Amino acid sequence: MKNNRILPLTLVVAAVLAGCSSLPANNSLLDEARNDYSIAQANPQVTSLAAGELKQASNSLDKANSAWSKDESKAKVDHLAYVAKQEVAIARETADQKAAELAVTNATAERDAVRLEARTREAEYAQRNAQISQRQSEASQRSAQISQRQSEASQRSAQISQRQSEASQRSAEASQRQAESQTQAANIAQLNAQDARQQAEAAQDRSLQLEAQLKAMEAKKTERGMVVTLGDVLFDTDEAQLKSGGVHNVQKLADFFRQYPQRNVMIEGFTDSTGSNSHNQNLSDRRADSVRTALLGMGMGSERITWRGYGESYPVASNDTAAGRQQNRRVEMIVSDDNGKIAPR
Amino acid sequence: MSSHQWYRAAGAIGIAAVVMAGCASVPKPTEQIAVSNSAITNASRAGGAEFAPVEMKSAQDKMARAHQAMAKEDYEDARRLAEEAQADARLAEKKAESAKARKAAVVMGDDIRVLRDEINRKSK
Repeated sequence: MKNNRILPLTLVVAAVLAGCSSLPANNSLLDEARNDYSIAQANPQVTSLAAGELKQASNSLDKANSAWSKDESKAKVDHLAYVAKQEVAIARETADQKAAELAVTNATAERDAVRLEARTREAEYAQRNAQISQRQSEASQRSAQISQRQSEASQRSAQISQRQSEASQRSAEASQRQAESQTQAANIAQLNAQDARQQAEAAQDRSLQLEAQLKAMEAKKTERGMVVTLGDVLFDTDEAQLKSGGVHNVQKLADFFRQYPQRNVMIEGFTDSTGSNSHNQNLSDRRADSVRTALLGMGMGSERITWRGYGESYPVASNDTAAGRQQNRRVEMIVSDDNGKIAPR
Repeated sequence: MSSHQWYRAAGAIGIAAVVMAGCASVPKPTEQIAVSNSAITNASRAGGAEFAPVEMKSAQDKMARAHQAMAKEDYEDARRLAEEAQADARLAEKKAESAKARKAAVVMGDDIRVLRDEINRKSK
């Protein structure tokens, strides 16, 4: 009788267990989740940058493991294993994202350092140009001194011949007059030679100056005249404000126009093709106007300046590469001929 | 009915109640459905469809099946599907964000290279 009572009870319990759970077999999804987790845990980037996400994945994996060891239904174990597996992937992606963001932060610092280096180099470049001009002027000074010494020598020899002619004066009056007239002719010739030499030196100085100035501004000869280009690095990003390097270049140009009052300037602004047309038109207008304002501030007459923005028109390089876009973001200043004329675009 | 038989009947009813509680009675997962829906919205706002199309599609499919299970009052199934959809959507969002961050890092590297080229060209 006792056995009879226990047997059906045991059968009921067995049936209940069979109804709610499956046999303790391997679960492939759970194996995948465990494997993914151990790979992520061995990755120092994930453990350091996504510790919270990895902990959450670990908790979910614990739940899946515990359901599996309690022989709960395959559907439940599969579900918990799937969630754990996706959470491991979330931890991995989070670590990737943070690593890339760190790289951007570091790169921003590096870019600032590179910009600083660019400005330093520009200053050194200007200093070198100044030294070259100084050396050139020292050289022409030296050659002037040499010419002067030569003329002193010829003067002395003229004096010697004068003395000789004075000695012969006593012997013949006629030859004395002749000697005097020769001395006068020599003096006149000497004066003429001095004049010519001074003029030549002045002309040489002027052409050296013009050449050195245009070189310093990196002017290029085009069909429309000499063109000085202000690159993108001389402006703040997406702003019309000139940086100190840009102001420096414009100052050189203003000095140039002070010396050549018959020459005028045309200022043209350009951008790359990134952004809307109206934004680009506006930025190129403002950059051109900013250069004009700088020239006016340096004392150049407004009647000598024309300016306009061309937006993304007239690119000088391809807009498909970062290097090309940087070349297209620019302000060009065209120097007129001696009559103040500039050919239209 | 003897007291013997009465105990046996009470025991059987007790076991049946425990079994019903363990296997069947599941609350309606309304809250989980709302959480999963908002995870999908966030993921698609972050660009999940572009950067993680597989995860995005899986999340949306599972959400549709979760709604069907709700209609059939199969709440256990509905909750599991909604939880998996949430995990898929969060993964899609993260994938989109990390892809965008990597892209930004590449662009920044390009910019620096251009700047350096420009300096080297000028100092020649």
